[in-house]
Amino acid sequence: MSKWMVLCLLCLSALPSIAVELKYALWDANQLPAYQHCAKDFQAQHPDIQIKFQQLGWGDYWTAISTGVIAGTAPDVLTNHLAKYPELMKNGALLDLGFYLRRDRFDVGIYEPGLFENWSHKGEQYGLPKDWDTIGLIVNMRMAKAAGVTREDLWGMRWNPQDGGSFEQVVRKLSQDKDGQRGHEPGFKKHRVRVYGYQNPGPGGMMGQTEWSHFALSTGWTLQSAPWAVTLNYADARLADTLSYLASLADKGYSARFELTRSLGAGALFMAQRVAMIPEGSWMVNYFAHNARFEHAWVPLPIGPSGLRATLFNGLADSIWSGTKHPEQAWAWVKYLGSAACQKTVATYGVVNPAVRGLAQESRAVLMAKGVDSSAFLEMADTRLSRLAPPPIVPRAAEINEIVGNAIEAVLIGKLSAAEALRRADKKVNELLR
Amino acid sequence: MSASSQKPWPLLGNHVLAKTLMLLVLLVTLLPLWFAFKTALMHPSVLFEQASDLWLTQPTTMNFKRVLGGLSAEESRALGGSGAELNILRALGNSLMFTAIIVVLQLSSAAMSAYAFARLQFPGKQWLFAAFVASMMVPGVVTFIPNFVLIRDLGLLNSMAGMVAPFCLMQGFSVFFLRQFFLSLPREMEEAALLEGASYFTIFWRIIIPLSGTALATTALLIGINSWNEFFWPYLVAPEASQQVLPVALQTFKAQTPQGQPDWTGLMAATCVAVVPVIMLLLLLGKQVVESLQHTGGK
Amino acid sequence: MHPKNTQSAGALLKSERWYAALFLLPALLGFVLFHAWPMLKAMQMSFYEWNLLQAPKLIYFDNYSRLLSDERFWNGMKLSALYVLLNIPVQIGLGLFVAVAMDRVTRSLWVKTVVVMPYLLSNVLVAMMWLWLLDPFLGWVNEMITLLGFERQAFFGAEAQALATVAGVNIWRHVGLVSLLFLAGLQNIPKTLYQAASLEGAGEWQLFRHITLPLLRPVMVFVLVTSVTGSFQIFDTIAVTTKGGPLDSTNVIVHAIVQSAFSFYQMGYASAMAVVLTLCMFAYTLLQMKIMRASESDLA
Repeated sequence: MSKWMVLCLLCLSALPSIAVELKYALWDANQLPAYQHCAKDFQAQHPDIQIKFQQLGWGDYWTAISTGVIAGTAPDVLTNHLAKYPELMKNGALLDLGFYLRRDRFDVGIYEPGLFENWSHKGEQYGLPKDWDTIGLIVNMRMAKAAGVTREDLWGMRWNPQDGGSFEQVVRKLSQDKDGQRGHEPGFKKHRVRVYGYQNPGPGGMMGQTEWSHFALSTGWTLQSAPWAVTLNYADARLADTLSYLASLADKGYSARFELTRSLGAGALFMAQRVAMIPEGSWMVNYFAHNARFEHAWVPLPIGPSGLRATLFNGLADSIWSGTKHPEQAWAWVKYLGSAACQKTVATYGVVNPAVRGLAQESRAVLMAKGVDSSAFLEMADTRLSRLAPPPIVPRAAEINEIVGNAIEAVLIGKLSAAEALRRADKKVNELLR
Repeated sequence: MSASSQKPWPLLGNHVLAKTLMLLVLLVTLLPLWFAFKTALMHPSVLFEQASDLWLTQPTTMNFKRVLGGLSAEESRALGGSGAELNILRALGNSLMFTAIIVVLQLSSAAMSAYAFARLQFPGKQWLFAAFVASMMVPGVVTFIPNFVLIRDLGLLNSMAGMVAPFCLMQGFSVFFLRQFFLSLPREMEEAALLEGASYFTIFWRIIIPLSGTALATTALLIGINSWNEFFWPYLVAPEASQQVLPVALQTFKAQTPQGQPDWTGLMAATCVAVVPVIMLLLLLGKQVVESLQHTGGK
Repeated sequence: MHPKNTQSAGALLKSERWYAALFLLPALLGFVLFHAWPMLKAMQMSFYEWNLLQAPKLIYFDNYSRLLSDERFWNGMKLSALYVLLNIPVQIGLGLFVAVAMDRVTRSLWVKTVVVMPYLLSNVLVAMMWLWLLDPFLGWVNEMITLLGFERQAFFGAEAQALATVAGVNIWRHVGLVSLLFLAGLQNIPKTLYQAASLEGAGEWQLFRHITLPLLRPVMVFVLVTSVTGSFQIFDTIAVTTKGGPLDSTNVIVHAIVQSAFSFYQMGYASAMAVVLTLCMFAYTLLQMKIMRASESDLA
């Protein structure tokens, strides 16, 4: 028997080693170079594995993943999102990483708190964290200076849904009509606005990640009591007040009407210098650094009625498709992506905040060296100053997204009152989840 | 306004009015293309200031370089693009291939079956023809779902074969259109040939086809336009970059945005490249295209 | 119908059948594989709950009973019908107008080529061009509107304007073709008819009303038949520009079906919607054939 075994081993070793090709998918073109760098290092250690990248824009990405899963051609490893993975998991499209984690004694304590747990369900694990993000405000500083708004004013803003607090005072100063009158001055013409002070990016679907979640959370409101909880709290008066407030900014001429911004989005208006301040995610820092050709700065979101700032604390992870023909190699790649080594490399690109504890500071230092101050996001992630909430983790997210998105759109264009629209949406959503 | 007009057909009796209207029509037709072209020649950084100027001050060919693959992802990102890959020439090639395959196969198969329907006797003819015509009324979306499953089971996703499969053998309209035309042809020559012992195939190939030049060209043009246009099916079965046809590649590129706003200058450059084959076709075969299209409504 | 005095009628018939089978084979294959079979499959799927990933579950008529009370479905049917009503009269009216003008002032091939060009550009491409031109802040059209002293219009972004805007884009793409078809029809009308009528003292409008319009009827019918069924299935332009929004105001039936199938992965339910849509299309076609047949007689 041993003779045969030796023979076999000889045969195997004599065979030319054929590299296994792994398909890895991600949606953000900005992050591609960073992960290509990781892949190069990984392939140097694993000459038998070849990583092939597939990058598609957000909308197409999820269509491609779903049809790929159906067709049996999905990527072996995919970048995953908290709002999307429950559906994939329920349909058996994702591989449970628990076995590999235990076998390799992988230390999951290296990540920022909460990130790993978001990807757990009933003791199984469906992703290994790669990064985290929070929301902040980006401000056109040239306009701020012209309006007499200082950096300190911006960092110290407070907000409430009744009169908007000092946040609204700043927004008023930043708004300017065609004759140069500012929003806080008596002659301000709200129908002839040249620069809007603040722009809500849109309805924001089920979680309002960059739209309304931060304001609503800062009132003390909670959407989901815990990941996987089967009720979502859309019918809360605090959320309704928040949305009414955001809609009212357009009525007062401090924001553009939602219909007009629908196709372009707030980011483009900010770039066109038609809007002075917008909320944006930390993943956009690099983009604005490259493309905004005027002085701009990132500041934290205002302090809410609860006395804290607030933001969704979202994090992406890498998952393995359950249909992969190479689970071992896929795991080796996911393990590397989730390791401090790869995330250190990613940090040097300054495109995301890596999930491994402490590396976000390195990423910040890289940006600082390029002249970009991203400390606002670290302040947003500091639990002593800021309330962090994970995005809702529920199945049937696509339908919920549609229902809630439509309800909020109706509020933003003034078709329905916030309370009424949210009450109806809440009912539909919780029927779906039952 | 009409009293002095010598022309016997009315409305717009006044030539000035008719001429103005025609100028307006031409303007409305061409202006969007001019703006696409102008935007394609603009540097992304000046887009927001000069988007709506009628003329452009500093044209650059950079966007064309970008979509034709002349700049690296890094370079185009630095210039304000999304850094997304777009290989418009490859998409153009795929589209031409996709269209050509469908035109050739569907036209051959339609001509053959139209001949059978027009000239040959076989049991169940009326029923089969009715079924073919009825298939025109079935909305594409109904068959997309089962067809998608079929193509998946055949392992043809992300392949040219999978993309052309549902279109290349049968579309009700081409069969219908050609049958009507064949029916209008005089039968004498065919009957004489039959008497001389010619086979039906010889008759089809030597008599019917040579007599049907215009009808075949018109059908080919219609099939071609429809295939060139096809969006959702290729999008569904062949999303992979290497297989994308033009409409799919354009839509994928548009969706490649870090935020809400498309990479307009790049997108418009891609659009302009995509228009080139159509302009070539019209320059070379404008008369034939116009006449063929007019022919479709002639019956 | 057949040459009768040949060798053996039976043998010929046999070979005729054999040839027919051969000639029909490719088209028949295509018909069965990609039309008939999927249609039956869709009907079958409509009785199941299926997300393509897990085993289909037989639920009988549940999809259909759900459909009866589904706002999205009825809204989609209503919007598609509205879209046809917005689209067709304008296309025909404008097409006729342009055709008459063309007939009057030019025989130029160049003009015809330019006029027909939009039709040769793909839906997706045309939609993107107009998305850019009609953008509320960057688009040239809005710049003109504000220059003239009006307020910016949202076009694709406004609930009240989106469907009409989509219709406008498609009218832009099709009107040239329609006018060429009418032009061909106009040029087929014998000039002697007009001369005879004007000798009898008919005015311009009367000539148009009583000679031109009736004689253009076949073209009109052709345009009507092809564009109504086509418009009812509008999808590409919407997928590129509005994605069914704002607030479902452009979520026409085909878009709603695709959304159910490929965003929500409810293949069974989407199939049920599609089957009902097919039935409606058939009903419409039968009705149309009836009306056309009735009208044929007075044309002669």
